[in-house]
Amino acid sequence: MADTIITPQDPADIGSGVIRRNHKPALSLSIDEEHVARVVFDLPDEKVNKFAAAVVGELNELIDLLIKRTDVRILVFSSAKKDVFIAGADIKEITNITIAADALAKARAGQQAFQRWSELPFPTLAVIDGACLGGGLEFAMACTYRLVTDAEKTSLGLPEVSLGIIPGWGGTQRLPRLVGPIQALEMILLSKQVNGPKALKIGLADACVARAFLDVELPALTTRIVTRDHLETLTAGRKPEGTSRIFEKNPFGRMFTWKKARSNLWKKARGMPAPFKALEVVRQTYGGALEAGLTREAEGFAEVAPTPECKCLIDCFFASEALRKADRAPAADGAKPMDVTQVAVLGAGVMGGGIAWLFADKGIPVRVKDIGWDAVAKAFHTAADYNNQLVKIRKLKPQEVGLRMARITGAIDYKGFQHSDLVVEAVVENLEIKKKVLAEVEAQVSETCLIVSNTSSLSITEMATALKHPERFVGMHFFNPVNRMPLIEVISGPQTSPQAVQAVAALARRLGKTAVVVKDCPGFLVNRILLPYMVEAAWMLQEGGDVLAIDAAIRSFGMPMGPFTLTDAVGIDVGTKVANVLAQGYGERMQVAPVLDVIAHDFKLLGAKAKKGFYIEDAKGRKSLNGDITLAVKKVRDQRRIAPRDIQADEILDRCLLIMVNEAARCLEEGIVAKAAFLDLAMVMGTGFPPQKGGPLHYADQLGLKTVIERLTRLHLRFGARFKPAALLVAKSQRGERFFPPNQPIT
Amino acid sequence: MKERLAIIDGLRTPFGKIGGALSGLTADDLAARVVREVLVRTDFPAERIDELIVGNVAQPIEAANVSRVIALKAGLPVTMIASTVHRNCASGMEAITTAANRIAAGEGEVYLAVGTESMSNIPLIYGPKMTRLFGALLKAKTFGQKLGTWMAFRPDYLTPIIGVQVGLTDPICGLNMGQTAEILARDFHVTRSEQDAFALASHLKAAQAQAAGRFTDEIVPLPLAPRYELMATSDEGPRPNQDMAALAKLKPYFDKVTGTVTVGNACPLTDGAAGMLVMSESKAKALGLTPLGYLRDYAYAALEGKRMGLGPVHATEKLMRKSGLTLADFQLIEINEAFAAQVLACERAFASADYAKTHFGRDQALGTIDPAILNVNGGAIAIGHPVGATGARLVITLLKEMRRRGLKLGLASLCVGGGQGAALALETA
Repeated sequence: MADTIITPQDPADIGSGVIRRNHKPALSLSIDEEHVARVVFDLPDEKVNKFAAAVVGELNELIDLLIKRTDVRILVFSSAKKDVFIAGADIKEITNITIAADALAKARAGQQAFQRWSELPFPTLAVIDGACLGGGLEFAMACTYRLVTDAEKTSLGLPEVSLGIIPGWGGTQRLPRLVGPIQALEMILLSKQVNGPKALKIGLADACVARAFLDVELPALTTRIVTRDHLETLTAGRKPEGTSRIFEKNPFGRMFTWKKARSNLWKKARGMPAPFKALEVVRQTYGGALEAGLTREAEGFAEVAPTPECKCLIDCFFASEALRKADRAPAADGAKPMDVTQVAVLGAGVMGGGIAWLFADKGIPVRVKDIGWDAVAKAFHTAADYNNQLVKIRKLKPQEVGLRMARITGAIDYKGFQHSDLVVEAVVENLEIKKKVLAEVEAQVSETCLIVSNTSSLSITEMATALKHPERFVGMHFFNPVNRMPLIEVISGPQTSPQAVQAVAALARRLGKTAVVVKDCPGFLVNRILLPYMVEAAWMLQEGGDVLAIDAAIRSFGMPMGPFTLTDAVGIDVGTKVANVLAQGYGERMQVAPVLDVIAHDFKLLGAKAKKGFYIEDAKGRKSLNGDITLAVKKVRDQRRIAPRDIQADEILDRCLLIMVNEAARCLEEGIVAKAAFLDLAMVMGTGFPPQKGGPLHYADQLGLKTVIERLTRLHLRFGARFKPAALLVAKSQRGERFFPPNQPIT
Repeated sequence: MKERLAIIDGLRTPFGKIGGALSGLTADDLAARVVREVLVRTDFPAERIDELIVGNVAQPIEAANVSRVIALKAGLPVTMIASTVHRNCASGMEAITTAANRIAAGEGEVYLAVGTESMSNIPLIYGPKMTRLFGALLKAKTFGQKLGTWMAFRPDYLTPIIGVQVGLTDPICGLNMGQTAEILARDFHVTRSEQDAFALASHLKAAQAQAAGRFTDEIVPLPLAPRYELMATSDEGPRPNQDMAALAKLKPYFDKVTGTVTVGNACPLTDGAAGMLVMSESKAKALGLTPLGYLRDYAYAALEGKRMGLGPVHATEKLMRKSGLTLADFQLIEINEAFAAQVLACERAFASADYAKTHFGRDQALGTIDPAILNVNGGAIAIGHPVGATGARLVITLLKEMRRRGLKLGLASLCVGGGQGAALALETA
């Protein structure tokens, strides 16, 4: 590399001094007559810059060269990619780490390169105009100065913990030194990203300029640095100010900071090893020497990178990337997916209102029809409620609410439907009513209008019979509450056209949701797997299990709530109804536990919406066990002469989780969903299955399919057909296969 | 007018009392709902509209040129030009006649004409002393200067000026609108009981129209901010159980000693909006549309501010001269009910040969108005008077009633604070 440098001594090449290499380099260096060096990062054949191992090697070569250049006065490092500075390390390389020693070596290699970079004999300046994440930010922090732009895409952050790892290239060391531990912990533990102006405010950046004026501001700043013009004011913002200083400058304040962060993690990241590890590393090293800190950081990285939790989180990431690409695949006939500019929603209940809110939030005008104005008002109320939640957490300014609400209009007739590009049916879950409404609305809309149903379990195939043009009819299952749940199931009926499916999936993505395309079957994908789990909890309850113990066991597995709390949240009436639909569809294996019907019908308990279900909520929002449940359980046990027995945590976990695993395998076997990875992602996003456990099929892999079969067989003998191992499980286990073979990345 | 203006269709919000159900909605919120719904009901593409013209009196400080704010809130294309017009209480009519003028001048073909007002949201303001103090504070640099400036502060500086009150006071003659009505009551000998009887009739007619569903096809139901738990589907004002005894109990409001005008026989302060899609008659024909009606001709006239309530008489007289129509030609008449005394005074002035002679140099009275064709569905005393919106509401309400009755020619007129009147000749075919 050194032999190809064109030196400034050669008059013909002054001003263009470019380094050239034989293969396509990611980093290119030039040095001009003013002795300003410029390195441009442009990873070949990629849309974004990533710190792959090869790039780290190139960086080291570059440093070897630069370290001798005492004539260089400043080095400016920038990216050639639009809207991206450096997106981070290459995640694929992390999936290949299986043992701690590999992880340690990987962290060390990056740390050492960045440390050498930071010791170059001249100042370096990172020009950050776009995403600067993970390893990218760690590199930027190893530069002497950082310039950021105000562009919308400029975002700085360390999102490592969301992938199950911790920053391993100096992030846990350099970030707290620049911005103080409070701010640093927020970015490291909660993956919080900051924009340009915020980066300047907290001291992460030394200058923030308008992207439009970067051409004048960058030379001005390099000149200022070269001439050492008031450099102390340039970096003055790096010291934390005000209250944060009080907490950071004394041992008591710091202790409070660590404690607060830890209790916060208990609330937000229970069961995730990485954030706790990151906190441990920062706490142990803050205020110490950099060298020792880096060593501890690399060890911490090596402690989490090979864990199954990390692998599962990375698989989730790749699965969602793969899904995104699947939606974007061009249509078979090359037709552009239709642009949805106007939407109508039928039914103004909680789902209809939430769906209306979502469209309005994304700038799409939406008309909500119901049978009376009082009913229509409910949709506005739900939408206003979701907006107010955003205002409360400052994601929305109060004055922006009016504009969003103005995009929602109400109707009690079909006026205005003729120009809709999409109609969402969200009326009561009753097949006959839905069919009637669908036939009615089809007469009111244009030929090209997509019609979707937000049913949670009714047959799309059956509903389609009400339509003259079933090819444009798709299931679009939003989850409740619409503003929080990230998943939409897109259900394709036998007559649905691929274009319609693709358009709905693309729309779901535009709405900021993850779309999983599934085939029509009772319960579709998520409810078909989830409902048996909720019902299994009820079976255990009537056999002698305890509501609190069952919920606690499931929570300890990492689910955000136990099955009974979930049933309360869904609504006992709704849950029981869906369970019965599944029982009808799948027969014996989905038989509903009698106690559920008793609770729903004899005791008429509704769940959280009535503040009375398995739990009772008092006026202050405190929850306690509902005594009626004991009565209901007793009634069923008396009727059926069941002698109650204690049920231990092991049995609870096995029965609740393996029933899901079994049904998940059946779904895959039947081709309800295209890939195992999509199935697992849907369960993580649609049910809160702990992402660090990867989903039911990942869980099966971790247990080992042989073990799964063994335990299922035992449960089958004891509790009947619902535990009969799925054929796919048996086959895979016999062949010694896994759902997710190692070293085979998800695509 | 060269060519009639076709009014394709119009709608309005329910009208709500000040501080009442609609008070959580701003003037632009109200109008945006009307505009969206007018486009839905007329099924007219927004891209083919040349401009949104909005009449509004108390222009909201947070929405300068409220018309443009309404355009964007209503989802009109970002390229939609929008202007706000102001002729005080006739602003809603001004929007319509401005559209007619633009069309006549060849500036465009299709317009949205809207009137809107949220009197609930008219702010209280600091008086001049406090305003000057804030100005001085802005100039003060050092702590000493700032302290010195604050030393001049007196608690009475904080006494607010009530925006809606000063807005309803004529700054030239210094009289509140209610006081001008007291002058007319004396001039034309309109007694307290005559006024109360008129107010009662207004309530009963409006309540009847409401009960019969006659307003349903002109009203856009409104979701009620900020809680959005209810929809307003009808006007808040009309009181079906109003009676003379209750009205008689009220004390005169504007002249506490010898007055006759009470809050019962005057229009209440109100929130509301009304709007319509308009175009030239030839354009409507070319597009094959059946308009709700037409604006045949119009006139504005001015007179002394303290007798502003007689504006309809002056404007109608001018309209008669301009169009060749006579008062007897109008089969249905709306005179906005700012005050019962003022409408009754108008009736008497119309019928007075003396008034015609003195003010217009006419030999005969302008004509008598049959009370049976005047404000047949009640008026502002019952329904309310959101100042910028009323002009547009009168046109819509009148045209829809003319169609129901199969009538051809109607008159919509109102008095304008500051001393003006407006009169619009409307036709259904």
